Amino acid sequence: MVSEPKRITFLRHAVLLLFVAISVYPALNVLSISLRPGDQLKTTDLSIIPDNWTFDSYIALFTEQPFLRWLANSLLVSFAVTVTGVALAAMGGYALSRFRFVGRQALMLSILTTQMFPATMLLLPLYILVAKLNLMNTFLGLLVFYVSTALPFCVWQMKGFYDTISPSLEEAARVDGCSRMVAFRRVILPLAAPGLVITALFSFMTAWSEYIVAAQVLQDRDMFTLPLGVKSFQASMSTQWGLYAAAAILVSVPVVIVFIVLSKYLVSGMTVGAVKE
Amino acid sequence: MATVSFRNVNKVYPDGFHAVHDLNLEVKEGEFLVLVGPSGCGKSTTLRMLAGLEEISSGEIAIEDRVVNAIEPGDRDIAMVFQNYALYPHMSVRENLAFGLKMRRTPKQEIAERTAEVASTLGIESLLDRRPRELSGGQRQRVALGRAIVRQPKVFLFDEPLSNLDAKLRVQMRAEIASLHHRLKTTMVYVTHDQVEAMTLGERIVIMNHGRIQQAAAPLELYRRPANRFVAGFIGSPPMNFLRGTLKDSMFQSEGMSIQLANVSNEALSHEGNVWLGFRAEDLVLNSDGPSLPEVELEVVEQMGHESIGYFTLLGERHSIRLPATSEVNPGSRIVPRLRPAGWHLFADDEEGCRFARENETAQV
Amino acid sequence: MLDATRELPANLYRRKPAWRLLAIIGLLITLSGCSKQDDRHVIQLWHQMVVNERLFLNELVTEYEKQHPEIDVRLVFKDTEELRSSFQAAALAGVGPAIVYGPSDVLGAYHTMGIIADMTPWLDENARAKFKPGGLTYLPAKDGPQRDDSQNRDLVQVSDRFGNHLALVYNRKFVETPPQTVEELIEIGRRNTLDEDGNGRNERYGLVWNYEEPYFAVPFITGSGGWLFANEENTEPDLDTPQMVAALQLIDDLQRVHGIVPRGCDYETADSLFKSGNAAMIINGDWSWGDYLALERIDAAIAPLPIVTETGQPMGPMISPKGYSLNKNATPAQRDAAMQLITYLTSESSQRRALHSLRILPSRTALYDDPLLTQDPTLKASREQFEQGHLMPSGSEMRAVWDAMRPPYQAVLGGAISAKDAAAAMQANAEQAISLLQRDDQEIGGSWLWAALASATTLGLLFWQRRGLATLLPDMRRQPLAYLLVGPAIVLIFLTVVFPFFYNLLLSFSNMSLTHFQDWGFAGSQNYIDVLGDGQFYAVLLKTIIWTIVNVVFHVGIGILLAVALNGPIRGKAIYRVLLILPWAVPAYITALTWRSMFHLEYGAVNLLGNQLFGIPPVNWLGEATNAFIACIIANVWLGFPFMMVIALGGLQGIPQDMYEAARIDRASRWQQFRHITLPLLKPVLAPAATLGAIWTFNNLNVVWLVSNGGAPSNKTHILVSYVYKEVFNLYRYGYGAALSMIVFVILLAFCLVFLHRAKATENVYG
Repeated sequence: MVSEPKRITFLRHAVLLLFVAISVYPALNVLSISLRPGDQLKTTDLSIIPDNWTFDSYIALFTEQPFLRWLANSLLVSFAVTVTGVALAAMGGYALSRFRFVGRQALMLSILTTQMFPATMLLLPLYILVAKLNLMNTFLGLLVFYVSTALPFCVWQMKGFYDTISPSLEEAARVDGCSRMVAFRRVILPLAAPGLVITALFSFMTAWSEYIVAAQVLQDRDMFTLPLGVKSFQASMSTQWGLYAAAAILVSVPVVIVFIVLSKYLVSGMTVGAVKE
Repeated sequence: MATVSFRNVNKVYPDGFHAVHDLNLEVKEGEFLVLVGPSGCGKSTTLRMLAGLEEISSGEIAIEDRVVNAIEPGDRDIAMVFQNYALYPHMSVRENLAFGLKMRRTPKQEIAERTAEVASTLGIESLLDRRPRELSGGQRQRVALGRAIVRQPKVFLFDEPLSNLDAKLRVQMRAEIASLHHRLKTTMVYVTHDQVEAMTLGERIVIMNHGRIQQAAAPLELYRRPANRFVAGFIGSPPMNFLRGTLKDSMFQSEGMSIQLANVSNEALSHEGNVWLGFRAEDLVLNSDGPSLPEVELEVVEQMGHESIGYFTLLGERHSIRLPATSEVNPGSRIVPRLRPAGWHLFADDEEGCRFARENETAQV
Repeated sequence: MLDATRELPANLYRRKPAWRLLAIIGLLITLSGCSKQDDRHVIQLWHQMVVNERLFLNELVTEYEKQHPEIDVRLVFKDTEELRSSFQAAALAGVGPAIVYGPSDVLGAYHTMGIIADMTPWLDENARAKFKPGGLTYLPAKDGPQRDDSQNRDLVQVSDRFGNHLALVYNRKFVETPPQTVEELIEIGRRNTLDEDGNGRNERYGLVWNYEEPYFAVPFITGSGGWLFANEENTEPDLDTPQMVAALQLIDDLQRVHGIVPRGCDYETADSLFKSGNAAMIINGDWSWGDYLALERIDAAIAPLPIVTETGQPMGPMISPKGYSLNKNATPAQRDAAMQLITYLTSESSQRRALHSLRILPSRTALYDDPLLTQDPTLKASREQFEQGHLMPSGSEMRAVWDAMRPPYQAVLGGAISAKDAAAAMQANAEQAISLLQRDDQEIGGSWLWAALASATTLGLLFWQRRGLATLLPDMRRQPLAYLLVGPAIVLIFLTVVFPFFYNLLLSFSNMSLTHFQDWGFAGSQNYIDVLGDGQFYAVLLKTIIWTIVNVVFHVGIGILLAVALNGPIRGKAIYRVLLILPWAVPAYITALTWRSMFHLEYGAVNLLGNQLFGIPPVNWLGEATNAFIACIIANVWLGFPFMMVIALGGLQGIPQDMYEAARIDRASRWQQFRHITLPLLKPVLAPAATLGAIWTFNNLNVVWLVSNGGAPSNKTHILVSYVYKEVFNLYRYGYGAALSMIVFVILLAFCLVFLHRAKATENVYG
């Protein structure tokens, strides 16, 4: 590999630094709110660390609020959604990429159509559905909805990734003695790692940050997921901004951790050299 | 080592495309069989059906008397080398070689021995711990080959394995595959679109077109007695020259030109309608007493060193003539090519284009 | 259960760890999802109380449960608007809490919908007499049996307090005695509006309040001698009055002429300014006083709002009883239990405790003798203000009036129209909104005809696709694996969508609305005619399309740019990567609000930085329609680019390096390499993401709603979904909203068909 000119490296750093500043500043604002005493959303100055900063909100979250309980609930639901979503999308996307079956094209489109309906209008029937299926106040109800929300994207995404992997790889594996499923698992899946990571991240985020459906399904404060708990600090004209912001900051921490853990697979570059076109 | 038989095999794709028609073929034990034909002729489909990667629409395929139609590729005891190598990119060369054995639950000790042995035969010992992306094209090809050899299968399948290599490497690998067959004596089925590869490698060559076998025979037999006009045109370089005309008694006539042929069979004489007269470049000579073609002007002369090939136009078609290196001809020279006795073939001018054998032809070469 | 597991072949579990993991998680979910089973009688109570009230309620209920061990009370907090829509949905589904608590202004709607029950049978004449007027809310009986008490009305709420009234909160550090008249208010305000360092920005303002919300304008209207309705039943709006014009003029003058109110003063700005000591006075409701009084940094005190000198009238705020209503779906046993609880919660002793710990105004007459009401300065001021207050109308017309007032009101404050025109516009809007609200579309016949048409279309479609359907079964037999693999995902995807979709389809042909909430029926294509015949629809659609295109272009563009910058060896890659996903990681429901603060005219970072770094004059981001729309787009671009960056990063991994090497040999420039290698090879991965991104953006309600605060200014920032939301949740036009959603669906479907066809995104590079 020829090393690139200094000019280009400089340009890359410049672009990245600019966008890092843009992405970090509003997030720092949230941090700033969480450190402010007295539930204030806005201030008149630009400083990130307020003069009279305090960790009170964070302490209150853990001592006065069932924050850990919500965290556990959210982790359970999110990991369940991630595992189920990734598993189903990995299989579904594979079928859509590799098999030419009846109605395949129509199916791909109809998967997309499920995303086209404005969610606001879905809440009423959704509520009726949840009530009739007896899923009120259960994580199972939530799991079903989250997985079905995340799947359309995940399936398409996985199909896109499989499409970039040469089918001759799994043919080689099959000749080498694998069944179709084993070839899929041992040869194709590892190569689709970047796709799996994105799918996992997306499924996780779907479940992790959702609160509208959760508010319909979960009624018990002990059953609340994190976003629902966080949202309960917010009320029109009487939001507990300190708790709200502190909780929002803490909510982002697991996402960042999940991202860091997953991102080494995101940049594996493994398919390179697989086949010669 | 095993035999392979195709019995009335058909392949029809869901969209209705009939890729292989009623294929019947026996591959003998230890034979190196080459399937050759233009792209889309069904040769790859045939190979993939044999491998189990493609479903068989009707008929049956047997490997060593066992019908394998419903058997998974991995259980057919075959190994395959792919056009694009299909190396597992997430595994090292060693793991690539061992993968098939591991899938068959071969003992670890044996895997290690066999892998080492194959690596040394192919000269890739030093590459064992590398990943495919760190290898050159030729090295990847060797690993792909090694992955097949290490399995010690009953049948080797090759799907145009050399088409991605540059010309020099291709010749080298061709020789290597030939010596491999010589050493292993395993049944091999080799698909290529390159007739040179087919001629140099195959013990027997099956020429396919439009999903049908045109001819299955030893290389020289194909060359000398092509079954039809397609085979005649496909095999040989430069390709066979053709003239279209009618046959009157033993006289071939075409647009005011006539050539007297000897030993024309009754079958050809009784054929109604047009015929094609075919002759190879080396069947045209300059000084002999065979039937002569009209005087023509050489347009191009390709010097090959040991010989040269001249091209001229006759009846609107370009034809070729093989000239000894010593002949003093240049582009622009006027020559009168003559046809060697028994240096011609007659084909029916219909869809099949079957060849009419000459009277004195022996059944076998 | 355990035995069944043992019978399974052992190797099933050994060989498929993924399945085992799934099974374990499924089990966990099911187990933890089971609600605690006990035989106590559960009473659900939904409320919208602020924090300290919530804690107090909890205390009361815990004691009640101790006295009644057979009762299990579940308290659920929901924010006001969410409480309303959830309760309506739950009631329609035949479930929901037995008790719902809230202010009285939603009762009219609940009652019209027929989702709350009459509580008369549980409260006799005697018990009812103990409440102050307004403490019990009655509404004209809705098609119930005629009763003897001649009044023929339903008791729809039993309150435990009066509240929501605005008063003047002042900081004693700056204001010694509160103003008695508006002139004094202006005078004190002027004295306290200071720019000490002379940088053109005031360090302190005289007066702040939620300047954008008409609810806060009510004291000005009543002070000018006006009111919102013409009749005693509060059903006929009366907004186009000289008093309204005077009130609007006064509000406008406070900022524009006297300069004592900052520009862009929404609720949070006002609140923050007062809390940080940057405002001398604030007009705010009783819910907020506790916070102010508790803050040490300011020395807050409450006073009644001043008198408008011209009219001699006090500025009287609205006041609302807050209390408990009974869900009509509750079973007789639940009703009895619920009413017992309500009686306890509204009892004299409970209210006295509330008075003492929460300092709120009780609903029972007897408690007004309590000495605390005269001793405590806050309660004293609160009571005084209460005496001058006006009961908030509980009919559904009230909501229509708020919605009607908001756009012209904001337009006056933005200087776009005159007070006179605004008053006229308010009246016209209100009449229209009320007619929409009360529109009583009758069910029409011929539903069978439409049903027949629908079935015929379905059959036709099936017949058209008969060849495909005929091959389905053989194909399933030929490659069962394909169907097995794709099956579970498909089932799950459609499981949750099919019912809501057809439900909405039905709704879109129905007359479901406030007047036909439960008894809705077929109304033909009226809703579609309404949507497509409305000129505003096309304007909003155009804006939605601009919104979608601009957003997706920037999302994908920035995403690819950053992914390319991050790809390959570069120092600090891991850190860059993590920091760049922050906009995705931090929940949007708070960052959107952060962006709203950053766009603030005077204190927002965007204007401050723009001014300090580049000398750009401050832009009125949120107060001007186009700017507000741009602000929403900026916030949404910020929220969305990390996702596309991650996808592009993943996609880049699939591009072999040797392609670039080959390109370099061909002397392709960097741009050409990008154009001819990177982009085409990213396509299979980015195309689905971009398609879905466009769909999500098209339907993204949150950002627009949060950044523009529900379509402000003057409903000019709506995209189609927020428009649907407003119509449905403010005016209960369910049928209309469903039709609009169907149209959105068709638009997106058409877009996808065209786009996917052109991009060939369903096809694979290997054919």
